[in-house]
Amino acid sequence: MTALQGVRAPVLEGTRTPFLRLVRVELRKQLDTRASRWILAVIALVTLAAAALSLWILEPAGLTFRTLSDMTSAGWGMLLPVIGVLAATSEWTQRTGLQTFVLEPRRTLVNLAKLVSALLVGLAMAAATFAAAAIANLVGIAAFDGDGSWALEPTYVVGILASMAVYVAMGVGLGLSLLSTPLAIVAFIVLPIVFPTLALVPWLADIVPWVDIGGALLPIIEGSPSGEEWARFAVSAAAWCALPLAIGLWRTARREVA
Amino acid sequence: MIEARALTKRYGSALAVDSVSFTAKPYRVTGFLGPNGAGKSTTMRMLVGLARPDSGEARILGAPFVDVPNPGRHVGVLLDASASHAGRTGRETLALAALTMGLGPGAVDRALDRVGLSRKEAARRTGGYSLGMRQRLGIASALLADPSVLILDEPANGLDPSGIRWIRTLVREFADDGGTVLLSSHLLQEIDAVADDIVIMGGGRVHAHGSRAELVGEGSLEDAFFAATSGLSRDGADA
Repeated sequence: MTALQGVRAPVLEGTRTPFLRLVRVELRKQLDTRASRWILAVIALVTLAAAALSLWILEPAGLTFRTLSDMTSAGWGMLLPVIGVLAATSEWTQRTGLQTFVLEPRRTLVNLAKLVSALLVGLAMAAATFAAAAIANLVGIAAFDGDGSWALEPTYVVGILASMAVYVAMGVGLGLSLLSTPLAIVAFIVLPIVFPTLALVPWLADIVPWVDIGGALLPIIEGSPSGEEWARFAVSAAAWCALPLAIGLWRTARREVA
Repeated sequence: MIEARALTKRYGSALAVDSVSFTAKPYRVTGFLGPNGAGKSTTMRMLVGLARPDSGEARILGAPFVDVPNPGRHVGVLLDASASHAGRTGRETLALAALTMGLGPGAVDRALDRVGLSRKEAARRTGGYSLGMRQRLGIASALLADPSVLILDEPANGLDPSGIRWIRTLVREFADDGGTVLLSSHLLQEIDAVADDIVIMGGGRVHAHGSRAELVGEGSLEDAFFAATSGLSRDGADA
């Protein structure tokens, strides 16, 4: 590169760290701390409790794979984003960024690896949710005289996966843009509650459906959303996922690591 | 080789680092001496891309740090030993670094042995570590990939006398093997005991920079330090 290169020893060599390796590192970081293990344990517990509770309270005719999936997936909506938040904020709140960004100075790449690995955890969670519902359905057939129908619309699976992806991306995005674990957690717990309430204000009633991500997800999960419902989903997902992610990537790329 | 060229960093109206230039060479331990708040840590953060200089540039092994592929393989960095995830074990902290750098199995155990952390200590969460253990863990992390450059910010903090002797021996051997060491301290005797070259910093500026013989001459490092930082010194202040 420069004329002085010849006198410098040793010569720089080596290849850039591959993105998949960064994903592996981030995946491991999301599972190797006490905080993240507690969250996963609580999610597992909530899912199991939801399955058990459904067997208890639902009429035998209502014990189907689809209904049980509804019940088991209700639990992690609130908790899954925490995984994303912690992945995003811990480099700054626990100051591990001092090591992470010295080993890989391309911070945006590291953050994208966090997003991908959090989505992988979310995917595993969604699979576990369906597995818990399947087991509950078997128990329902065997012990509770349940209907036991295995029918599951493909659109429903897509909707569940979409909401998982939205919640995880929201967690990572809010974490990266706010860089504070409590603030980000409060944001994704409080805001979805605030929006349906805001819809009661007459002059906001027309705007809220376009930014209320919880409401926009419902028709996607219920299946066969209309064109406008897709548009609302796209707009609110952009507001809650894309925008915070963009702000977060911009902010963390520039911020001083200290 | 580490080169800082006119590095400047401002926080609001405060000039934290003011046109800092120096070179740290292979086979030499370069001591970075100055009181707390002199701008040493900010300068070191700029060297490794954690802070952006407002002007000036830094090169490590001839390239800006952020352009070094897989930089941990070449440059071992310890800027703050207390900056580790309290809920992660010492071993896991090193394992993550080894995985990032693509090191083979055994690297973590070798590094633990090198810094004198037992397997039992490594299995504990770092939240319960003493500062001395954190320093050892941080140095283990810096040494993991057998780099050729070491950048250590106040590595002797929190170490007991035997630990301080150990770190001196470690950086001496590292430099004797052809490595470049930049080591900061606010303690004169730390720098005096180990440095071949000395950069004296105060108030964000380099006040003197040269080999130990050039700076100290017949006197003591203490005399040289106070002469340089009181502004009575003859050279180096306003390069």
